[in-house]
Amino acid sequence: MNTWRPTILWMAAALVVIVLVPLSTGEYGIEIGFRLLLYIVLGEAWNLMAGYGGLVSLGTASSVGIGAYVLVGMLNHISPSLPLALTASAVAAAILAAIVSPAVFRLRGLYFTVGTLALGEALRLFMINFNYFGGATGLFLRDDPPSPTGLYIYAAVVFALATIVISIYTRSRLSIALRAVRDDEAAAAQIGVRAFRVKLAAFTVASALMAVAGALQGLHLGTIEPYGTFGLQWSIDAVTIVVVGGMGQRAGAIVGAIVVVALAELLADYPELHVAINGLILIIVIRFAPAGLTGLAKRWWQYRKAAATPFAPAAGNAS
Amino acid sequence: MSGAVLVSNLISGVLLGGDLALTALGLSLVLGVMRVVNLAHGEFLIGGAYLGMFMLQLFGIDPLVGLLLIGLILAVLAYPIQKFLLSPLIEKGVEAPMMTAFGLSVILQNVYTILFSGDTRSIERSYATEPLVIGSVTVAQIYVIGFAISVVIIVLVHLLVSRTGFGRDLRAAATDPTAAGIMGVDVKRVYALTFALGAACAGVGGTLIGLAFSFTPTSGSGYLLTNFAIMVLGGLGNIFGTLIGGMLLGFLQSLGGVTLGDGYRELVGLVIFLGVLAVKPQGLLSRGRI
Amino acid sequence: MSIQGQAVPAGDARATDVLMRISGVTKRYGGVVAIDNLDLSVYAGETLGIIGPNGAGKSTLVGLLGGAVTPTTGTIHLDGRDVTALPAADRARQGIGRTYQIPRPFPDMTVEENLLVAIFSASPSLRYSQARSDCRGILERTGLADAAGRPARALPLLRRKRLEMARALALRPKLLMLDEVGAGLIDSEISELIELIHSLTGEIKSILIVEHVMRVVKECCARLAVLNFGRLLLEGTTAQVLASDDVAAVYLGTKHGAAKGGPAAQAKTEVAPLSQPDPPKDQARAIAQVVATASSAAADTPLVELRDVSAGYGLARVLSGVTLTIKPGQAIAVLGTNGAGKTTLANVLNGTVKPTAGQLLISGQDVTGWPSHRLSKLGLAQCMEGRRIFVELSVEENLRIAARDVPVAIQRERLDIVYGLFPILAERRHGPGMALSGGQQQMLAIGRALMSRPRLIVFDEISLGLAPLIVDQLYATLHELRAAGLTMLIVEQDVDRALDLADHVHVLEQGRIALSGAPQKIRSDPRLRHLYVGEAD
Repeated sequence: MNTWRPTILWMAAALVVIVLVPLSTGEYGIEIGFRLLLYIVLGEAWNLMAGYGGLVSLGTASSVGIGAYVLVGMLNHISPSLPLALTASAVAAAILAAIVSPAVFRLRGLYFTVGTLALGEALRLFMINFNYFGGATGLFLRDDPPSPTGLYIYAAVVFALATIVISIYTRSRLSIALRAVRDDEAAAAQIGVRAFRVKLAAFTVASALMAVAGALQGLHLGTIEPYGTFGLQWSIDAVTIVVVGGMGQRAGAIVGAIVVVALAELLADYPELHVAINGLILIIVIRFAPAGLTGLAKRWWQYRKAAATPFAPAAGNAS
Repeated sequence: MSGAVLVSNLISGVLLGGDLALTALGLSLVLGVMRVVNLAHGEFLIGGAYLGMFMLQLFGIDPLVGLLLIGLILAVLAYPIQKFLLSPLIEKGVEAPMMTAFGLSVILQNVYTILFSGDTRSIERSYATEPLVIGSVTVAQIYVIGFAISVVIIVLVHLLVSRTGFGRDLRAAATDPTAAGIMGVDVKRVYALTFALGAACAGVGGTLIGLAFSFTPTSGSGYLLTNFAIMVLGGLGNIFGTLIGGMLLGFLQSLGGVTLGDGYRELVGLVIFLGVLAVKPQGLLSRGRI
Repeated sequence: MSIQGQAVPAGDARATDVLMRISGVTKRYGGVVAIDNLDLSVYAGETLGIIGPNGAGKSTLVGLLGGAVTPTTGTIHLDGRDVTALPAADRARQGIGRTYQIPRPFPDMTVEENLLVAIFSASPSLRYSQARSDCRGILERTGLADAAGRPARALPLLRRKRLEMARALALRPKLLMLDEVGAGLIDSEISELIELIHSLTGEIKSILIVEHVMRVVKECCARLAVLNFGRLLLEGTTAQVLASDDVAAVYLGTKHGAAKGGPAAQAKTEVAPLSQPDPPKDQARAIAQVVATASSAAADTPLVELRDVSAGYGLARVLSGVTLTIKPGQAIAVLGTNGAGKTTLANVLNGTVKPTAGQLLISGQDVTGWPSHRLSKLGLAQCMEGRRIFVELSVEENLRIAARDVPVAIQRERLDIVYGLFPILAERRHGPGMALSGGQQQMLAIGRALMSRPRLIVFDEISLGLAPLIVDQLYATLHELRAAGLTMLIVEQDVDRALDLADHVHVLEQGRIALSGAPQKIRSDPRLRHLYVGEAD
């Protein structure tokens, strides 16, 4: 279909830039590039839920944490195959999402957010206290993790897969139903949309992607412990990435991730100040630019176009 | 474990639940009246604990003496937050104010860390540690004091909501803000005062909790979720339901702590919260909204 | 496009199968009975019209059939299968499509995507290209083809109504339910609508039309069912039903209907006497105390002035250029069909809808855009549509809240006066507002509006959904208040009652004042009857 062509070109270009530039800039570049890829995957997944489905989650940590723990468990005890371990991480998080869905979907809106927040905290507390999975000290990866470059290539592959999955999802009939539920759940039901299943699909896919991102982070660190792996910071990052980039905008996660990673580098020596500023940016963007930076850019572009052609016909048929 | 220790533990849990109910009441009022999930509520609570601590350290004022002042300070600080940050967003649906509160929570946690360091703190008072012995049952004095104060304040809030003109306006604004406005109620003012009242409940309860337990700049998020659990157990906006919910949760947490180990106390609360959401999301004791 | 539609499909629907049947269905909301033990069948191949006054339960009926509303008691069958417990989404997949009276498009999706939602839920494995071409077909038919790529949010109200219909059609329903799709359309648009409905009769098994626009009903439906107070008042061929005096009475005023003792009068029996019909002699003086009468000097300066006011919701413009003056002591009635803008006008006066253009003046002061609570302090009170009692407040609290700015002693005086007007409220003073019946709630709403000693009360649809006997009592009170000098604006669907009470009348049509004048003049104006029942063709 020809509507796909711009997307594919655009994606390929982004892929080349994002993958190749860090590789050519040495160790520091690879380190930053790895984090950027991870954040884009997180942001894409969170955006699918919140931007397309209206499911504002604060439980990113639960998927990330499950992903990391399952990966380490798989590699240490079951099979050294990394692709297999990553797949297992994704499946585990998807299953968890399906299990908790009756609780978090019962009441619309607010309770999803609070329910997912509670889920992340509950898992963190469980992991701290339950000694079988290493308790508060966590787990070590027995074998050496791949080299930074190898890891980066894995991240690039995951990024590419995530981009493809989300691109297909957001252009498919699944996304149409998902956005209908977001806009008006009752009206959607009246034309045959089974809201629960539609939300569940988005929730599981997003959870699986986040788990893979978490697994890569676990691999990168080589050692995982519950405080960080199941920490609220993951949610703060995911929320900031998408809100700053633009909720429900296809390019939102990429733009947001670049901003968040850059900010983190700038303020690397002041961790608390950095997070506080994150919060401040969040508040400002929600208030003054609810569609994020991509939304602002779109508006500015339309404004420029309108200014250039003063007697343009009313917007509409162009698409 | 002997029977006496078990009973002491469970009674302590119930008493502590009274404290938690007071803070949960603040959360519940704000959600019930304004439809805003105040995700910064936990940080208000911890703010109360820090205030109590510094009041003692810098001015030598016993936190229990300065309790009302702490509530007042929190209310005064919260009023502009509602007026300038949340109020302009309320018409844009439930998500924007909630996420703004989330941003605020993130800011406060880290500002606390910057200002007060990440160290674990506690408020050192003799009654905080000394036990009260009745027969073979032993509970810390502060649990009893905190419970008594919390119950008194909860009853006062109940009287404020059910008997006064402000309470009438609050209930009217909660059920039908449009109609309330047409009857002459300044709904935005009611919202700001409710938010301030919620923060005051958090601050006072937070000081009491700070007397009983140690705390860090990030302890708030755990209490936020415990408060949610209590709110869901007690029913949104049901004041005495919240008290009962708090005592019930405190009891169950202690029971969990005793049977599974102390680290599981909080986890029990969260599991109950998710369980109630799945089974009866309107709350176990739900009745009215306010 | 011809104004006159083709002949209506033959009327003998009873010989054919039943597509959908509801048996013994009752729906209660708290203490209010919206549908009362209703039996009704929709036959395969027919276009059934449902008519009845506002609040008769028509939209609830659509909700019950579509699955959005679950009945309190009773059963619903589709094609002989019991679907009472089937959720809305599954009923839609079984072929029940509906439109909403107030359109509910998916605002952040394009018009085409709005339809695709329905197409894919009707046939989940349809090819994308096929779905899009189906979409185009439906958009062409409903006149939305040029808007396919636009976000639904950007559509004005009338196009949103078309989108409602297009989306329901995209479901390929067996039963299509159209809820007030004609409201607010101009004549030529109604002709297009009728033509569209006629073109559907071949491909959709049954169509159910809930409608106030009589032309649509007359030209599309072979059979009509009349609802009143949630009950079936009358069922029969369109000609029979429209010729019935009971139906005219239900629409134009309950006086005649009640006198004749037709089924309408017996349909609802709210037995207990709610207030004493004749007030004590000294009550008139008491009432005068709650009514802020104007000093004779000020009587000529208008109390409220609307200057060229336009208003609406989002892009939907409901009022356009309304100019209206209320002088102290006047009783003004505002009439008009559903969707004509009556309630929006009331909302401009209470501050919940801000005019997009024009000015609102009170005693000469420009108060355009003021919030509700400040307008109320200037002496504007309102008896809101749907009563809007604070159900969790006690009766007395409901009253006191409106007299919030005066000392308790004066509150008590006013309470006594309101209790004098409505003794039943005194009996229930400490009970919750929720426990009152509909009529008692309306008394409370009137009392509440009086408590602030207002200079003007807007009475918005106070007869809605109430039995004639009760409405008689309420209007008796309004006449007393008027005699005591209260300035009032009456928004009313019951034309006769409003005309009896008012000394000046405005008739709204599509957001503009179409007709103004003294009540006697309006009563005899043929355009009035035409607007409501569409008889003067």
